[in-house]
Amino acid sequence: MNSDNSTRQTIMITGASRGLGAALTLAFAAQGANLAICARHGDELQRVKEQAEHLGAEVLAVVANVAEPRDVERFIASVEFQFGAIDVLINNASILGPSPMPFLLDYPEEDFANVLKVNTLGPFLVTRRVIVGMLQRGKGSVINVTSEAGHTGYAGWGAYGISKFGLEGMTETWADEVSDTEVRVNMVDPGEMNTRMHELAVPNCDYQLAEPKDILDVFLYLASEKSIAVNGQRFQAQDFSA
Amino acid sequence: MGAFIIPDHLNASQPPERRGIRRDHVRLMTLDRETGFISHGSFFDLGKQLKTGDLLVLNSSRTVPAVINGNWKRTTLSDLSLSTSIEIRLARYLDDYQWEALLLTAGVELGDVLEFAPDFYAEVIDEHGQGPFRRLKFNVGGTSLFERIYQCGHPVRYEYIHEPWSLDYYQTVFATNPGSVEMPSAGRAFSWEMLLKLQRQGVRLAYIQLHTGLSYLMDDIVKLSPDQNFEAYSVPEATAALIHKTKAERGRIIAVGTTVVRALESALDANGSCTAYHGETNLYITRGLQLQVVDGLITGFHEPEASHLDMLTAFVAPEYLYRSYEEAIQSSYLWHEFGDMQLIL
Repeated sequence: MNSDNSTRQTIMITGASRGLGAALTLAFAAQGANLAICARHGDELQRVKEQAEHLGAEVLAVVANVAEPRDVERFIASVEFQFGAIDVLINNASILGPSPMPFLLDYPEEDFANVLKVNTLGPFLVTRRVIVGMLQRGKGSVINVTSEAGHTGYAGWGAYGISKFGLEGMTETWADEVSDTEVRVNMVDPGEMNTRMHELAVPNCDYQLAEPKDILDVFLYLASEKSIAVNGQRFQAQDFSA
Repeated sequence: MGAFIIPDHLNASQPPERRGIRRDHVRLMTLDRETGFISHGSFFDLGKQLKTGDLLVLNSSRTVPAVINGNWKRTTLSDLSLSTSIEIRLARYLDDYQWEALLLTAGVELGDVLEFAPDFYAEVIDEHGQGPFRRLKFNVGGTSLFERIYQCGHPVRYEYIHEPWSLDYYQTVFATNPGSVEMPSAGRAFSWEMLLKLQRQGVRLAYIQLHTGLSYLMDDIVKLSPDQNFEAYSVPEATAALIHKTKAERGRIIAVGTTVVRALESALDANGSCTAYHGETNLYITRGLQLQVVDGLITGFHEPEASHLDMLTAFVAPEYLYRSYEEAIQSSYLWHEFGDMQLIL
């Protein structure tokens, strides 16, 4: 029922319409991979799809919110229908919540729940769905995009940091559960980057920021056979050298 | 098949997780194929019944939301238009634009249009034939059609289900290839915790895909005979190779579900040996058919009229099977896709 007639890698990236997600999409497109991308914003996603296609990739772009189980099922079923299998999953989609970020002391309840839904529940739903095919084929790499704020608690990083703490715990738990298999689950802290999300997190930032396109080596490494024995590790993208 | 009646309270209307137990903690009745001996236990302890070198074959087909509601429209030459609500159940994928479907309203004719959303509709493109299904051609195809089905569709739920359980409840934990219109339910009780533990115990795992069609057609519509029931399936090379290896090492091939039996007993080469295959099958397995590949079966409890039961008599003498079903009723085993399990080995 699918058109799995290609030996290209299929890379799935959530939150691919902007920033790091868009840069990852174009980097893997340039490597000749098939791309399965999703985001909530259709117009921007379409633009990234067209750019990736221009680089020669076959791209399936689906408007979807990773916090919605029906969207996740629709997205991944469509990808399986089109490409047959998913080799690499990058859980990149996340939201910051209110900006400027309030203290937890002041955090609105609804916003807190929403940030955790997208940033923590979302990767759970997507990974639980995708990792099954990886376990069956005996190969696959899951890469979770985390943050320094998910490693150390900072006043003012609110629900975002807590959601990333959850994601880091989830990465370790998942990695341990599949440690007897050929599937690997790791996480990457990209560091501070020049993105719209960073502008919301640190308005009027007055120091130099890395560009997303310059910090992708660790993702390419974790998607490659070179990292086949690496599981449950946390990488800092800006300190990584292949 | 001998007559028996399933008391209402034995119809599992809730998934185990909503009855307060894990999916892998349903009950397991083990029926010895040779002696008819019955033992009772927990599905979670399945490993006690298996040996190092046995091979479990699982159907990794994933359930699609096959029920779609829409409006039935007909525009005649006199421009008289008709519009009424209609439910369809997708029954079988034909190609990128076409599915066979069961229409739950009588009187639909060639050329009628079923509209599911303003920009998503299908035309009936066949005259009413012998079978209960109609051929529908959608206005979108390929991955886009798949996406639209997921946007609009719901899982098939039968009359003993009283709550609109979401599609996730109709999936096995190892389902990856979407295409079944009913859950291949024999695998539902497995958890990854169990599968990984079984592997550590030395039990091998392999997968096939068989996309199920509709097994139960509405009461007032023509019944489908099993040999009219074509289902798409695929036995991968790796699975065929593991079956050969297991047989050579005198391990047992245990099918998880009658769909797996159907696929494995269909994909035979000229010597009656399992081979990789991708296609359709209408094989009807019943008593008297010599099983070539499968040694044992994990399955749910089936309704008395289900053709699945005929298939079980290919594994075990009917008197043993009936006795096990009587005991299942007396011991309050639960029936259907959310119910308890039987191992015939």
